[in-house]
Amino acid sequence: MKRVVVERKILERNESSAQKIRSILKKQGVFTLNLMSSPGAGKTTIIEETIRMLKDDYGISFIDGDLETDRDAERIKALGIDTVQINTSGACHLDADMVLRAVEKISLDCDLLIIENVGNLVCPATFDVGADKNVVILSVPEGDDKVKKYPVMFNAADVILINKIDLLDFMDFDMKKVKKEAKQINPKAEIIEISAKTMSGFDKWISLIERWISEANQY
Amino acid sequence: MHEGAIAESIVDILKETKEAENIDNIVKVRLKIGIMSGVMVDALLFALTALKEEERIIKDTEFDVIETNVKAHCVLCNKDFYFKKGDDISLLCNKCGMPLDIIEGKEMEIIDIEAEQ
Repeated sequence: MKRVVVERKILERNESSAQKIRSILKKQGVFTLNLMSSPGAGKTTIIEETIRMLKDDYGISFIDGDLETDRDAERIKALGIDTVQINTSGACHLDADMVLRAVEKISLDCDLLIIENVGNLVCPATFDVGADKNVVILSVPEGDDKVKKYPVMFNAADVILINKIDLLDFMDFDMKKVKKEAKQINPKAEIIEISAKTMSGFDKWISLIERWISEANQY
Repeated sequence: MHEGAIAESIVDILKETKEAENIDNIVKVRLKIGIMSGVMVDALLFALTALKEEERIIKDTEFDVIETNVKAHCVLCNKDFYFKKGDDISLLCNKCGMPLDIIEGKEMEIIDIEAEQ
């Protein structure tokens, strides 16, 4: 019997593809966001509104990860944005190889690339897709217990958007508790309360993206 | 269930190792999985067992998973904090309130293998 020391990261291939994506995008001066949430938290609507507010000043491209359909991609295409659809055919997350293939197809003549991950609060947290910042969205109707239930996802966030705050009056959603628990599992993440319906909080969110884009261009 | 994709990545590394080390039947594989890695160990073992049908290389392989707890460090106080499964993880230093850095608990590694030559 022979013992062989391996000591290799299981996801090393994903990590090296993610690094490849980062270096391609950096060379092109493209800043990249990866949006993650459970299904129905409002990813696509937030992306639509974000694009509407930014597209006059910035070039934007969009990669959409979806299990089966291209419905979300069609919504973004309608805004005149270059879009590449990734159908994961049932896989619960995007991985760096899928995104790398999409990056090779998409227009990189832009300032901002938005990646919409598959709707799921578990699996996407484990796979680096080469983005500069991870955005995790929690919506009010999902309930105020989600941060504790999905610590790995909330720990992976650079910013946490709490969406659908226009529904706060109708839900038992303890915002103070959610913010406290989010701070505990991820002290460094910014937390922004928004509503993609009333556009409340979008000024903060948009100015954060603009700051990130300008910081990325300094290097 | 992303553990299926992780199981496939394990098999890919085992194939490379088998080739490089010129070994035959892989009897045992030791894995290190952090409790904050996002991997459910039971789901991973289930996925590996399911893969045995199509991947001959792991047909008779036993997988041994070592779960690592979270170790977090406060740079200011030079203090370590430990959390095990089921603990309420707070990554704020209880002395100074500053964010802690996670040192251990997010890893996913193949440690070593035992094989027949």
